[in-house]
Amino acid sequence: MILEIKGLKVSYNDIEVVRGVDLSIDKGECVGLVGESGCGKSTIGLSITKLIPREKGRIDAGSILLEGKDILSLDPDGLRTIRGRRISYVFQDPFSSLNPVFTIYDQLKEALPGKENTEEVISGILDSVGLSKIAGNKKIYPHELSGGMQQRVMIAMAIASNPDLLVLDEPTTALDVTIQNQILELIMELKNKMRLSILFISHDLKTIFRLSDKVTVMYAGRIVEDASKENIISQPMHPYTMGLVGSIPSFEHRKERFNAIEGNAPLFSDLPRGCKFHPRCKFRIDRCLKEEPQLEETSNGGVSRCIRVKEQFFDGAIKST
Amino acid sequence: MELLKVRKLKKVFPKHKVAAVDGVDFSIFKGEILGLVGESGCGKTTLSRTLLRLTDVHEGEVFYRGKDLLKISHEKMRGMRKNLQIIFQDPYMSLDPRMKIGEILEEVFLIHERLTALERRKKVVEILEKVGLGEVYLRRLPSEVSGGERQRVGIARSLATDPEFIICDEPVSSLDISVQAQILNLLMDIQKKKNLTYFFISHDLNVIASICDRVIVMKSGRFVEIGSCEDIFKNPQHAYTRSLVDSSLA
Repeated sequence: MILEIKGLKVSYNDIEVVRGVDLSIDKGECVGLVGESGCGKSTIGLSITKLIPREKGRIDAGSILLEGKDILSLDPDGLRTIRGRRISYVFQDPFSSLNPVFTIYDQLKEALPGKENTEEVISGILDSVGLSKIAGNKKIYPHELSGGMQQRVMIAMAIASNPDLLVLDEPTTALDVTIQNQILELIMELKNKMRLSILFISHDLKTIFRLSDKVTVMYAGRIVEDASKENIISQPMHPYTMGLVGSIPSFEHRKERFNAIEGNAPLFSDLPRGCKFHPRCKFRIDRCLKEEPQLEETSNGGVSRCIRVKEQFFDGAIKST
Repeated sequence: MELLKVRKLKKVFPKHKVAAVDGVDFSIFKGEILGLVGESGCGKTTLSRTLLRLTDVHEGEVFYRGKDLLKISHEKMRGMRKNLQIIFQDPYMSLDPRMKIGEILEEVFLIHERLTALERRKKVVEILEKVGLGEVYLRRLPSEVSGGERQRVGIARSLATDPEFIICDEPVSSLDISVQAQILNLLMDIQKKKNLTYFFISHDLNVIASICDRVIVMKSGRFVEIGSCEDIFKNPQHAYTRSLVDSSLA
């Protein structure tokens, strides 16, 4: 196991937004973390190397183990040996991640460990992300590249140090669909070639499905379902996952009403009692209002945070929706 | 029936000498949902704005029920806008942050109809209910409701004048997927009930595929393909359409 997150709790301004999360990633595996805006998924990504802004946020509990060693107990010097070296990130907007006043060449050079930052290595890395066009050119600035090319540069910087874990936080959300597709293909190619372990964070189920081996669904700061990609699509075991899958627009179901989830996600400052999803849930019973369910194993080998998951009708209901 | 007929429409941004809309011809038929898809900067939004004269046009004609919208007076155009409405992408940017939702909706009736305060208020509540919002929203500010609710207000505002044609410019692009599905359901329900005509703009081919009857594929100010959704998605003719379809429907 490359990464293991245990009992992670994070709060912003004393409001808990990650409310006890366990997650693990194996070597060469891509775990997709999906949920809607404000569910806490990006916060988990940032917590992994303690990148939560100190003035606002605080990691309250839990441990994050990188090959067995706890990252959260490291001092700033220790963290520097991890950030960008053993764990690297690609964020949504490449232009605001790149420094506008330095050349691409200089920024890549900075991302590489001292001895390896030769021209040859840098060209090689640019080649491997499909940027052979600018590989020999040391004078290119970020603004001269398109959004897709900028994101390729970000990926180049992220893989330059041959990291143990790559955290991709909405890496294709700001790009046009054809470019999105190219970037996803590049990531898949690199994943297979370098046996990368990836935490892929996105709100977009379709891209999550394309890249991930395992899918973790979050709602209101907690995991509500965890299963293989195939099962999430064909046999979702939590009403929220069911609603998400039912909300995906597609050609096959054209001109049909969506099996949408009613209402809005709750605010962290005002979470409902009991199951956090119950106000929007079609399968709600009285018990859901009183107790927040634990993650329970499901019949298809995943886990789900729903007290009704073992009931027969639930299975049937899923199939009919 | 041809509701809108567009001929050789051209819009050039003089500073950049770029034709954002480069001489396009098409028709929109009564009761259909016509999709417009293309990547950012292809001219989708500019095209939609020219149809309602929200921006100047250089050449071309836009016939609405036989009348050229580009030739009539501003006065007359204002009257036309009752029938031709638009829903914008960002419901936050398109609603006045200092006005309460009730006031925003009431304004529509102040401009377009002569009603007493009581009648106006009744109409506002009616229209709010149509989009699934209750009376409690009257006194809220746009910043006090969620993104999906704001978009419902945007939809309510465009429905208020009882239009027959609505341009939906990326109406769900800034919404989460579960809310996107709610809003698409709402738009489809209203369309069916009132036999409305939509010109539905999106960069997301899956959204287009799931709700439109016909679709236009646009690139660099021109149309590369136009046809029924079935034809375009199952049997794309143009290489660009094929690349879009391959990237999106996978």
